[in-house]
Amino acid sequence: MMALRFSLAGALLGAAFLARGVLEADPLTHILVQLPMLAVAGALLPVPAGWERARCNAGGWAALLTAIFTIAYWMLPRTIDATLVVPWVEAAKFIALPLGVGFALRLGWARAHPLLRGFLKAQALAMLGVLAFLYTHAPVRLCTAYLMEEQARLGLGFLIVAGGLAVLWVAPLFAVCAPAPRADRAGGRVPAFDP
Amino acid sequence: MTAESDFGTVAAMRGVQERRDGAVRLAMLLGGTVFVLMMLLGLVMRLAQGGLVEIDAALFYRIMTAHGAGMVGTATLTGATILWFFTNRHVPLLAGVFWAFLGLFLLGVVFILAAIFVGGYGGAWTFLYPLPAMSGGFWQPSAAALFLLGYVSIGVGFLLLHLEVARKLIAAYGGIGGALAWPLAFGRGRPEDAPPAGVVAAMASTIFNVLGIVVGAAVLVASIVNLLVPGFTVDALLAKNMIYFFGHVFINAAIYMGVIAVYEIIPEYTGRPWKTTRAFAIAWTVIMLFTLSVYPHHLMQDLAMPAWTLVMGQLVSYFSGIPLIAVTAFSLLVYIRGADMRWDLASALLVLGVAGWSVGTVPAIIDGMIVVNKVMHNTQWVPGHFHTYLLLGEVAMAFGFMAWLTRAPAAQERPGAARLTGADRLLFLTYAVGGTGFVLVFLVAGALSVPRRWAVHATQWMPLAQAASVFAALVILAVTVFVLRYLSGLIRQRS
Ligand code: HEM
Ligand SMILES: [Cu+2]
Repeated sequence: MMALRFSLAGALLGAAFLARGVLEADPLTHILVQLPMLAVAGALLPVPAGWERARCNAGGWAALLTAIFTIAYWMLPRTIDATLVVPWVEAAKFIALPLGVGFALRLGWARAHPLLRGFLKAQALAMLGVLAFLYTHAPVRLCTAYLMEEQARLGLGFLIVAGGLAVLWVAPLFAVCAPAPRADRAGGRVPAFDP
Repeated sequence: MTAESDFGTVAAMRGVQERRDGAVRLAMLLGGTVFVLMMLLGLVMRLAQGGLVEIDAALFYRIMTAHGAGMVGTATLTGATILWFFTNRHVPLLAGVFWAFLGLFLLGVVFILAAIFVGGYGGAWTFLYPLPAMSGGFWQPSAAALFLLGYVSIGVGFLLLHLEVARKLIAAYGGIGGALAWPLAFGRGRPEDAPPAGVVAAMASTIFNVLGIVVGAAVLVASIVNLLVPGFTVDALLAKNMIYFFGHVFINAAIYMGVIAVYEIIPEYTGRPWKTTRAFAIAWTVIMLFTLSVYPHHLMQDLAMPAWTLVMGQLVSYFSGIPLIAVTAFSLLVYIRGADMRWDLASALLVLGVAGWSVGTVPAIIDGMIVVNKVMHNTQWVPGHFHTYLLLGEVAMAFGFMAWLTRAPAAQERPGAARLTGADRLLFLTYAVGGTGFVLVFLVAGALSVPRRWAVHATQWMPLAQAASVFAALVILAVTVFVLRYLSGLIRQRS
């Protein structure tokens, strides 16, 4: 199992590295394909024994904050620009995204309060929407490496990802499933008035 | 156990538990107080239009902005508080979320007040793009941005509150469909297994309010970016669509959440539960879809809108009155008639709320017709209709809920016949008469083509505004007493 996880992660990482030229030629595939590949590779890594219950990550906060700040940094247009021209930044990307985003998200998500998870999902959708607006409406070129037209396409990509995730997350909630028994519903409270 | 004694015990146990709900009480106290303050601002506007006080036009528009944003915000605050309180009866909610909601709300209020009265923002609560950015020198873009940031803060608070409500209802009642009573509405579900009426209403209003706020947040962020970096331009018609989608849904959500108080409280006065019937379940799903699709009735003046959207706005406007009246107003009549209804201030205000809401939809539907709208759109007919279902609708429900929260101990017993008497009767009548008179004057003025949103009125319109001021003063008098009565009730309950 562990070997399988390592090899899957390695395969993804390798693919992201080997296809670097193609993926990084277009911001759409750079941001929406390569970066997620790296993050997923990190999420696939096995979690060392004991880490699940580590005190320093109570509630998943430490790991989630790590992931959020790592994402924030690698989202900046100038960071993306740098990966294309500075080899050590490119190398850092291949370490930071798997560990700082994918692996950290997995560690944090598992322990996050359901309300926090819901909030983060809502926040992710909202921010993808904001990015979509910024990238489609920006009056200036944001990356030196990519063109205006490419950046507008990336903006549309953000919008599509936001829509896709929204459907993915919300659609299951519409399924009618068996409700919890009445006593549970009230959670030990006074029952509803129904004689 | 018979139904009646069961009712008594349940009501008594609830009484003990719900008295501890301090956050809800505080929110309603704040809401009631802000209602009074905003009504005073409304009175100032009416006095100015009547030529009785003189205020600078720039100040008029600041006041109008504060009144609009403050009233819509407070109506939704009190509505959401009602939603929270009664949802908490059926599923346990995390108390901290309500405090966070209240905190974010108050932060937003501070931003908004600072933007208006320090920054000078006067671009109306509708922040119609690109008006906030084109003040003609009356305010800085930063003031407009602060105003919009205040909205964002309030919106985040609402999203948190709805998230908590939604996730608990979804878990407890078997998905969104379960909480909306879809098995009963569209399948073979039995009424006995359906969620309580309040839960169905809470789930439906949560869904559309979240959608409204999400769209609102998107256009808010775009407007803020545009204010700070004018190079980011937005498609004005798209922005208008988004703003009115948000505005329509948000203010309607206030009423739909407020009506939960009717479903949950009136049974204590009639002795019969408000049943989730098949018609009720279907109606709420329909209401949800209508609320989301009817907003183009705000855009009938926009020639560039595709014609089908306006036709849809008109048609859905016609029909949207029906499910509401069928499942709320009509059922309420049936419940009241069949029982020896006990009348006190709480029940009287709640019933008035449903009546005002239902009646208010009539001028709304009239204005939702394209032919009428061409003439009436910018007249006081518009504030006339929405003041009807807000002042005599949502606000009456909110004060009814407050009166119920602080009802005298004797009133908490098993219902029996009683009449509204003495001071309470006078108080209720003052509010009802003042409110009715006030909205009627708006409607009459609208029918006479008096324009809305004018700081200075022609002399021949002034008598209308003067009469409205008298009615407004009556309303303010009554509402001030409501708040004081509530406050003294809170103090009595504490001791
Ligand atoms: C005594 C009570 C009230 C008075 C005296 C009052 C007065 C006014 C006046 C004079 C206007 C401007 C009319 C015009 O366009 O010429 C107005 C607008 C408005 N009022 Fe009220 N009002 C009262 C209660 C309420 C309540 C209870 C609500 C909602 C809960 C409300 C919400 C609004 C809104 C949303 C506007 C539109 C502002 C705009 O055009 O941007 N008002 N009110
Ligand atoms: Cu509307």
